Amino acid sequence: MFLAFREIGRAKTRFGLLIAAIALLVFLILTQQALQTGLITSFIGAIERQSAPVLVYSVDGERTLQGSSITPDLEAGIARVPGVAHTGRIGQRTFTVAIDGRAQSDAAIIGYEHADLGAPQPLSAGRLPAAPGEAVGSEGDFRIGQKVAVLGSAGRPDLTVVGLARDAQIQVTPTLSVRWPDYVAAARATNPDAAAILPNVIGVRPDAGISDTQITARINAALPQADALTRSQAAADTPGVTAVTSSFDVIFLLFALVVPLVTGLFFLIITLQKSRALTLLRAIGAPSGVLVRALLVQVLIILGGGILVGTLLYAPLSQTKVGSLSLRFDPAAVLTWAVLLLVLGVASAFAAIARVLRIDPVEATTGEGGR
Amino acid sequence: MRLAIRELWRRPGRFVVATVILTLIALLLMFLGGLLDGLVAGSTGALRAQRGQLIVFSTTARNSLVRSRITPETRTQVDGVAGAVNVGGIGSVQLGSRVPGHGPRDLVPVVLMGYELAPRGLPATPPPAGEAFADSSLESQGVHRGTTVALGPARTPITIIGFVDDTRYLGQATLWGSLATWRATQSANRPGERVGPGVVQALVVRSAAPHAATPAAIDAATSGATTTLTIGQSIDALPGVSQQQTVFDQIIGVTVVIAIVVVALFFALITIERTALYGVLKALGASSSALFWGVLVQALIVTLIASAIGVVASLIVAAVIPPGTIPFVATPLRLISSIAFLVIAAVIGCAFSLRRVLRIDPASAIGGGQ
Repeated sequence: MFLAFREIGRAKTRFGLLIAAIALLVFLILTQQALQTGLITSFIGAIERQSAPVLVYSVDGERTLQGSSITPDLEAGIARVPGVAHTGRIGQRTFTVAIDGRAQSDAAIIGYEHADLGAPQPLSAGRLPAAPGEAVGSEGDFRIGQKVAVLGSAGRPDLTVVGLARDAQIQVTPTLSVRWPDYVAAARATNPDAAAILPNVIGVRPDAGISDTQITARINAALPQADALTRSQAAADTPGVTAVTSSFDVIFLLFALVVPLVTGLFFLIITLQKSRALTLLRAIGAPSGVLVRALLVQVLIILGGGILVGTLLYAPLSQTKVGSLSLRFDPAAVLTWAVLLLVLGVASAFAAIARVLRIDPVEATTGEGGR
Repeated sequence: MRLAIRELWRRPGRFVVATVILTLIALLLMFLGGLLDGLVAGSTGALRAQRGQLIVFSTTARNSLVRSRITPETRTQVDGVAGAVNVGGIGSVQLGSRVPGHGPRDLVPVVLMGYELAPRGLPATPPPAGEAFADSSLESQGVHRGTTVALGPARTPITIIGFVDDTRYLGQATLWGSLATWRATQSANRPGERVGPGVVQALVVRSAAPHAATPAAIDAATSGATTTLTIGQSIDALPGVSQQQTVFDQIIGVTVVIAIVVVALFFALITIERTALYGVLKALGASSSALFWGVLVQALIVTLIASAIGVVASLIVAAVIPPGTIPFVATPLRLISSIAFLVIAAVIGCAFSLRRVLRIDPASAIGGGQ
């Protein structure tokens, strides 16, 4: 143990560089993890955090909110399914808006017919819209009191932000939730030729005693055009979520391979370099266990130091925003990665440990210990 | 150098680990690159196929085809711009299509494009109402010439009269019909997006010659009601394309760094193991540069073997994947650039061993180092 600390103290640059390399990798892993979480939340947050327990898409929509379109016949059919207590229209489109008269930007607007079937929940500030022209905005993108003008060729309906909802974006776009008539007005302002403004999905609340899963099964069995999903299914099955997760998983796999690879090869190299000294130590009576323990202590110090420095670098970055993505410090992710990297790192030292265990003290007398 | 090659030839087992790891990295690099190229090609085909040089959007659409709306009045203004030789409307609607033989819930997502100026591979005159050309990737979905697909909740029938290559849009296969077919289909299936007579989503403009001032002239003629982009700019404005590119470039960058680390560590290890041997060689008169060249040649040969396996595997994958399934293409440019990245990584990785080779003292061969 004493040897382990002494060696680190005498070769500060070498061990310092390895700690820096691992810290950089840990920083990159945690940053990518925060990006992945932020991206998925911004992609489907509005679906996860709305009040309708069941959402009914049209089969044609293939589980995309904006792609689905509910015809009046289908809407009526959903309301008639036994066990359906309440239904409400929900619509979503992307609009070009001007916030407080500033430059144009994109905003998704979600319209809901009933507050308990599609309104954002919970609110982090303010209240739900109560009068025409009021909206709840996604926190971080809007402030209470802001005026948002929907820019259309046939008018500029104005919305006032009266409430905020955390993690309530959709399609990684600043999102406003409004009452159904305001949504229709916004849609007509951008396309005066529009006929009926149809809902994209229907929010459903089942009768007491019927679960969300049971009502989705009943709706899907009764209506071939309907694709009923529970709130969590609707969020998880949104096209693109799996692709985002898979892309990041590839990055994580690469990182998870690199950390043990770098650590393992580093310790193997320094074990080979000092094999002559290690042979001598064995010859004067140092047991293998002492040398292996010293090696493991070094591995743990290097990995622990790297993880600590990497986490400290990540902490301030996790409080920032990347474009419209809000990053967040995730203690669970930090802990998971720290444990995983420690385990992989220690496992990677196996080759160096094997080398130490193979040392034959007799080699000290033949000079072969240096090889 | 000859010694290095002879060592590789006589003791290949020594280099198996590095070759296997580098082969995995080469495969990863080429597969990631091929996937990126496939994704980008699948998103941008409909725009790349345009024979016009410019696309005119309405200003409030922020370069989004779906949100754009060009009225007949605006079109007349664009027609009058000197640089605009041909002007044609274009419209799109994304719908689920029911293909004969598929299950009732097994829809194939398509984008129906209405056009006036024929893109590459399509006849100058758009097909009659209710008929369309299909992107060839739909053949893998059981769509053939003469197949009638039903689009959207209104089940609008569209008969396929032929195929066109590489025209996918935003990851989905396209159908190419007349503006009338597009208008009728959109009105029936998306009444909220119905457009009036003569209204299109955007205009494709063919200029007489590359003329940098034409976009500004068009936007000035419409008093700022339009935003005119080149095809390249329109591709960059597609949602998700630049983000996809960034994420994949990042992964590829990390992979190259990993390759550098692997080569550096592996050849550092080999150099340390051979320190005594190098001492003897130096004592016999071998120069440091000759020894380093030997290490470099070995690294390059291992890298090229790994790259060759990667190239063959990529070409096989590209050949066996049915069109329209996994978006993977193996372009010569991508394969060559991947090999170049790996070779550069090998050279950089080897450079870390240079210092070790230079520091070897020939005296160590006769016990001077002890």
